[in-house]
Amino acid sequence: MAELLQYTITGLAVGMVYALIALGFALIWKSSSVANLALGQLVLISSWFTYSMLVQAKFPYWLGLPATILFAVFLGWAIERFTLRPLIAQPILAMITVTLGVAYFLEGVVTFVWPVSVASLPRFFPQEPVHIGSAVISQQYLWAAVISLILFGILSLFFKYHKMGVAMRATADDQMAVQACAIPVTSVFSTSWIFACVVAAIGGVLISSIAGIGNGLIETGLKSFSVVILGGLDSFIGCMVAGPIIGLCENLGGGYLTTIIGPGIKDIIPFIIIIIVMIIKPYGLFGETRIERI
Amino acid sequence: MDLPSGTRNYDYATDMAVLRTKTHWAFFIGFLIIVFTAPLYLRDNWLGIFNLIGITIIAVTGLNILVGYCGQLSIGHAGFMAVGAYTTGILTGSLGWPFLVGLLCAGLSAGLIGIIFGLPSVRVKGFYLAITTIAAQLIIIWIINHWTSVTGGFMGMNVPRASIGPLVFKSEASQFYLIMVIVAVCLLVAKNLARGRVGRAFIAVRDNDLAAEVMGINLLYYKLLAFFIGCFLAGIAGALLAHWTGFLNGENFTLTDSILYIGMVIIGGLGTTIGPIIGVVVIRLLQQGIIFISPFIENAIPALSTGFTTGLGPMVFGLVIILFLILEPRGLAHRWTLFKAAYRLWPFSY
Amino acid sequence: MSKKLVVIGVLCLALVVAVMPLAGACAPKAQPVQVLKIGMMNPSTGKAAEKGLPMMNGNNDVIKYINTERGGAGGYPIDATVLDSNYDPTKVVTIVKGFMTSGCLLFTTAASAEMSPAKASANEAGFPGISSFSAPSLYRPPAHIYGQTPDYGDDAITFANYYLQNIWKGTGKPKFALLMLNNPTGYGARDAFKAEADQLGIEVVSMDEHAATTTSEIDTLTRIKADHPDVNVLYISSTPQPAKVIIGNAKELGIYPGVTIGVCHAGMTKALIDLAGADVVEGVYGVYPCVSWGDNVPGMAKMAEYCQKYHPENVGNADYMVSWAQGLIVAKALELAVKNVGYDALAKGDAAAWQAVETQGIQKLQNFDVEGLHGPVNYTPGDNRLDKFNRVFQITNGKITQLTDWVEAPLIKYEEFDWFK
Repeated sequence: MAELLQYTITGLAVGMVYALIALGFALIWKSSSVANLALGQLVLISSWFTYSMLVQAKFPYWLGLPATILFAVFLGWAIERFTLRPLIAQPILAMITVTLGVAYFLEGVVTFVWPVSVASLPRFFPQEPVHIGSAVISQQYLWAAVISLILFGILSLFFKYHKMGVAMRATADDQMAVQACAIPVTSVFSTSWIFACVVAAIGGVLISSIAGIGNGLIETGLKSFSVVILGGLDSFIGCMVAGPIIGLCENLGGGYLTTIIGPGIKDIIPFIIIIIVMIIKPYGLFGETRIERI
Repeated sequence: MDLPSGTRNYDYATDMAVLRTKTHWAFFIGFLIIVFTAPLYLRDNWLGIFNLIGITIIAVTGLNILVGYCGQLSIGHAGFMAVGAYTTGILTGSLGWPFLVGLLCAGLSAGLIGIIFGLPSVRVKGFYLAITTIAAQLIIIWIINHWTSVTGGFMGMNVPRASIGPLVFKSEASQFYLIMVIVAVCLLVAKNLARGRVGRAFIAVRDNDLAAEVMGINLLYYKLLAFFIGCFLAGIAGALLAHWTGFLNGENFTLTDSILYIGMVIIGGLGTTIGPIIGVVVIRLLQQGIIFISPFIENAIPALSTGFTTGLGPMVFGLVIILFLILEPRGLAHRWTLFKAAYRLWPFSY
Repeated sequence: MSKKLVVIGVLCLALVVAVMPLAGACAPKAQPVQVLKIGMMNPSTGKAAEKGLPMMNGNNDVIKYINTERGGAGGYPIDATVLDSNYDPTKVVTIVKGFMTSGCLLFTTAASAEMSPAKASANEAGFPGISSFSAPSLYRPPAHIYGQTPDYGDDAITFANYYLQNIWKGTGKPKFALLMLNNPTGYGARDAFKAEADQLGIEVVSMDEHAATTTSEIDTLTRIKADHPDVNVLYISSTPQPAKVIIGNAKELGIYPGVTIGVCHAGMTKALIDLAGADVVEGVYGVYPCVSWGDNVPGMAKMAEYCQKYHPENVGNADYMVSWAQGLIVAKALELAVKNVGYDALAKGDAAAWQAVETQGIQKLQNFDVEGLHGPVNYTPGDNRLDKFNRVFQITNGKITQLTDWVEAPLIKYEEFDWFK
């Protein structure tokens, strides 16, 4: 029974990390109905940039981490300005594919600038794990979970009460009406992409401090898609709920099913969940059902 | 199609003809002669590159039918190729069945798996379908990697060379002929599909599927048919790839490859028959070019760490995909049509 | 222009293009410079880059050294094409085919996972290859692929023997848990344990696979701890990055210190200490087939000099040493081949030349000391391992320290087991 507790705790913690990355996706979808398929690569490049700041350039924490946030801001702005703004009125296929192109490009840039391919960040938190009952959880996971919750709180409040947040929700609903109200749609898009990149950067730094930097981050990004699908593409609370669910399924499945089915079942569980969700309830737990008319 | 002035069509056959004038036929036969005599003057490594181009053309033609004609975004094509490749590997390798039977079964099995994973397309579209196909690809590759008793798991599997009767396709030249013949057949099938009833139904589904259903096009049948045909061609391409490399491993069919195929379709031109050919040739030659100049660049800029040129490829392709989508979303096929029209109308080609 | 002229013109052009090669065949060929061509590949980017990049640097530097200071192999300069395989099987196959058609005499790889896809094409054509790191599946039954150092199966057996003789203080059979990478690196250890566990006197209680990109193995370790709480040894047959993840997780769960951890030679390098941090991997045992940097052996001075001059960040890296030694072995094999069959037979770079290089060069390597950098290289028929000696090390105070002298790894005929592939 002790291992059940361990699986649960680890699953919840890992799930909060997935939820954090998924928040970035939901943010962009909520404000501009663009699917950002470059999530994993955004996380990757932010982590590598943090590495180059903290390890290669040896900046202290109070300088290196804000530098990473600035880089993420710049990256979000650049992606939106150069790849998405020219495609504003194009069909959805073009938008999705251009994010694929961005993903490919970022992967190339990472291999180009840091061919060393694997590295580890210096540890931000003490190594001593926290004991909960008979299970242990490393402090990094706890901090990741806490930061995810804080970010979720901030984003939800922003979207509900701040002027820009309301503008973003309006843009997702009806772009032309927003333009008629003299809100610049382009700055709404820019802001949403900047936020998303910053969230991805924070998530990346947290995950890489746990597991090291490497192409595994892209796979983590792919698993965040399953969080997004399960929770509903445009719902923050969906991310927060679906993240731990996916993490739990992954770890419990990995723990108990490995002896029955074989090794590696842990990796595929999120994607099987995607297929199941698609068949049963395509719009997720908290998502809005789209009604289409001719 | 633009025709020179003075060419009149008096019946349906000439109106629908692909090669209408004598000049068309001349260019076409000339092109065929050049292609089929290529092994005489190309060395083995160039023949190998063209073999890879041929295999990719088959796969991307399938993807074009699925994405370009029917509008179902599928980012899991490499997974369906893997199904075809492993089917033929198992049938010809472990069970010793003949190559042609293996090829056909590879296509059928990939088509069937395509139908299974294409079922959600009836309920969702756009991004949701894209994610489903990504999940499909990852699940297929996972099953291949972990079903060790049948597929050899992570260690990979050896595949015997293709053989028809006593003729074994071992050298690059013999495989070149085999692949080019199959490419020609597939392109013929794709072109006729696009011109016929099925193609028109696909285009209707792509443009507005609700309206198409209202007009009487059975969405379930046609969407699944698109998946079947697209994945059938992917399966055949995968089978040829298996026989060409001789060794199969789950790592051959990654998500990055799927993204590359989508890129090829877009660069070539969605929804045209010649689009996949142009897209594939451009990207593969670009790949070879980068591999070729990598050592020179590495020696020229020793300040950067070794191995950075491996990142150059994805960077260039990503950039090319983005630029094409922004500047020329209809792809190089559209440019080619414009060029032909300009040539015909010169000096009034504005 | 009249339609007929256009048609005729196009057809004539096509025929001219088609028969151009005959014209090209008549032209005289240029006289090439007399070199010995070889091909080398390393995974300098991708999932194993922490090993592949130092190894590519080692390959490049040793070829430079042999050509400038030793006058090449047998008097002829070595023309080495060093390429990055990105740990990708399709790219490996393309590279090997390229080597074969461009007249290379032999090829080398760094990793066993690179040699695996290459061996099908190479064995079919008779193109000899030497892999720095190997697994039993590469050369059992022996064909044209050779292993430069003992394979991952030999590592597992060497470590198990060392554990039984020096660390195990209980009675009966100690319990081993095998954590293996999902490619020949891990499978080599699995094959060795399956074949020899009973003879060694150990009990393997679990075998778990992981991927090179794994971020957490907590659930695997939790399951092992739950099912087998009295496990004695965790043997990790993997590369440094996943090994670091596993050892870190073991520390978190409190399993380590407690059990003994052993790492195969793929993981037991400076990269492991750099990635994990010296305090995490303190006390971990491992096996490696080379001497330590700074040992007093003849080849150390030159290697250290070139490393310091061209790649100072790799000083102290054991993988650099392995690929430096690989270059020395290749040069020696080429030298023997030139002496035995002469340069002209090798210059063609075709199947006959490959057979000559293999039978008169590689297979004639006897008592070659590789300048002391690793165990002596001796080819014995029926056993395609060139160096059969390992050493046991331990990480103490952030450094890899040597514990034993050379231990020979016995020959195991894996192909005689029906579960072996």
